[in-house]
Formats: sequence, C-alpha cells, structure tokens
Amino acid sequence: MAELDFERGLERLFADAPHFADAEAFAGRIEGRLARGWNMRSWLIGVAGVAGGVVGASQLIMSNFVHRVEDASQGSTKILQAGIAQVKPSFDLLTMMQSDWLVVWVASGLAVIAMGFVLTKVIEEI
Amino acid sequence: MPGSQHTRLASLHDVELAALAATGDRRAFGELVRRHGSGVRGLLRRMGAPAAEADDVAQDAFLAAFEGIAEFRGEGAFAGWVKRIAARQYLRRLQREKRLASLAAEAEEDSAHEGAVQSEAAGRIDLDEALKTLGAPERLCVTMCYGAGLSHGEAAEALNLPLGTVKSHVKRGLEKLRTRLAPTDGATLEGSRANG
Repeated sequence: MAELDFERGLERLFADAPHFADAEAFAGRIEGRLARGWNMRSWLIGVAGVAGGVVGASQLIMSNFVHRVEDASQGSTKILQAGIAQVKPSFDLLTMMQSDWLVVWVASGLAVIAMGFVLTKVIEEI
Repeated sequence: MPGSQHTRLASLHDVELAALAATGDRRAFGELVRRHGSGVRGLLRRMGAPAAEADDVAQDAFLAAFEGIAEFRGEGAFAGWVKRIAARQYLRRLQREKRLASLAAEAEEDSAHEGAVQSEAAGRIDLDEALKTLGAPERLCVTMCYGAGLSHGEAAEALNLPLGTVKSHVKRGLEKLRTRLAPTDGATLEGSRANG
C-alpha cells in the first residue's frame, strides 16, 4: 500500500510541470516553425497543382480538342454574327472575334488554372 | 481579433483544441503548446537531456504531434500523449548518435554520484535534485515510466533493453528516490518547481 502511495506521489511530482520563464517564446518558436512549414507546403502544393494543370491542359490541346474548340468557336461566331447583324448591322464587333486562336489560348489558360485549382485541392485533401 | 480568439482558445478543453488543430488550426495547437510545453521540456530534462537539447527535442516532438494530431482521439490526456512522443524522440536521438548504448551501460558506476548529492540539505523534497542521484539508465527508466506514462514493456522496447533489466532499473531507481524524497519535518510528497 505504501509502495502504491509512493508511486502515485511520484507520478504527481512528475506531472507537476516546472515553470519556464521563456514558455511563451517557446510556444512562439513552434508556431513560427509550423507557419513556415505550412507556407512551404502551400507553395509546393500550388506548384504541383499548376504543373499538373499545365500537363493536363497540354494533353487536351495536343488532342482533337483544338479542332473542336476551333469548330465550336467558328460556329458560335457565325451564330453571333447572324444575331448581331439583325440587331445592329452597323456594329462591326465580329472582326474582334475572328481571331479563333486567341479564344483557344484563353480557353487553354483557363483550363490550366481550373486543373491547377482542382489538383491543388485534391493534393491538400490527400 | 487575435486577442478575443486567444481568449476563446484558452477556454477550450485540450480535446477540443486538438480537434481544431486536426483541421489545420495552428493557433489552437499553439494554445496546446502553451499549456503543455513546460511539462514536455521538464520531462526531457528529467530524462537527463541538457537544457538546449531538451528544448530541441521538445520542439520536434510538438511538430511531430501536430503532424499526427489526427491520431490523438482524446482517450487519454493530451499531455501524456505528447510526452510519450517526446520521450521516444529523445531516445531515437540518443540511439542515432550512438549515445543510448553507453547510457544504458552506465548502470552501476553512477552510485558514487549518489553520496555527494545526499549530503545536501536534508528534508528538501525536490524531484529534479532527487533524480540526479540516479544512474543514467535508472533515471531514464523511472522518468519514462512515471513521467511519460510508458509501461515497463514499452520502455524496454523504446530503450532496446530486456524487460527484466528495465524492471530492475525502475526498482533500484524507486528505492533511491524513496530514500531521497522521504518526507521529513512534516513535508509531503508534492511537486517542486524549478526554473528553466
């Protein structure tokens, strides 16, 4: 019994944390290291996401996607052209939409951003 | 508002803070460090780590605890959980630097140290002073079992020693501590406070 009491007393002594004058600074150092680690991880995840997005988008661009987008943009241009010609024949907006390649590249850029975002979220969740 | 958030965090239980930290809330984890940092640093010093090394290991232990916070389910105390991580990290460091084997082998030679410390002012109940009267392996074993809450088996595994050896280190350590910590002049076995 006395042995048990002694052991319990000893556990209490161990549980009694000593006082450190720099306890707050110690916690601050750990928070700082966590923040640095977190920032670095965010950057790495972001870079990995963007790289993945670039690869994914380039795969799409290399496939028939370009032709499809081109066809689609030409089709939409014609439809828009017809619509606008009825409403406002004098307004030559359509000349701005002739550059189909610009549309393709804007779409590709958006695809990179979207894929990068999705990949970043997926990596973060993992 | 950092002030009000700090107040809110300070009012939360360890388990709630750990749950928040598991979602990536670093401030919640910072509050846990504020609460238990001294306990972990104290434990490592009691295991025999020099002050600077104890603080290094304590930092690493808290970072490891943050990484693995999802494993803390609140079944035991957070303090005990993080102390066990810290104790194991310290032993791993000793092992990596090939200091563990020599510490474990010191066994009997440390008894000369005991007499010198025992001649100090009698009656003062100070765990940290009492621990200095123990040999390195006894000190490690006693601190791991009574400070970090490891079972004899877990301590044996962590120290890479046979279970029987750990038990005898603990037994000898307790005998020395009992003599050293024996209450005199009406003193009781209560915690002492030492400055870092």
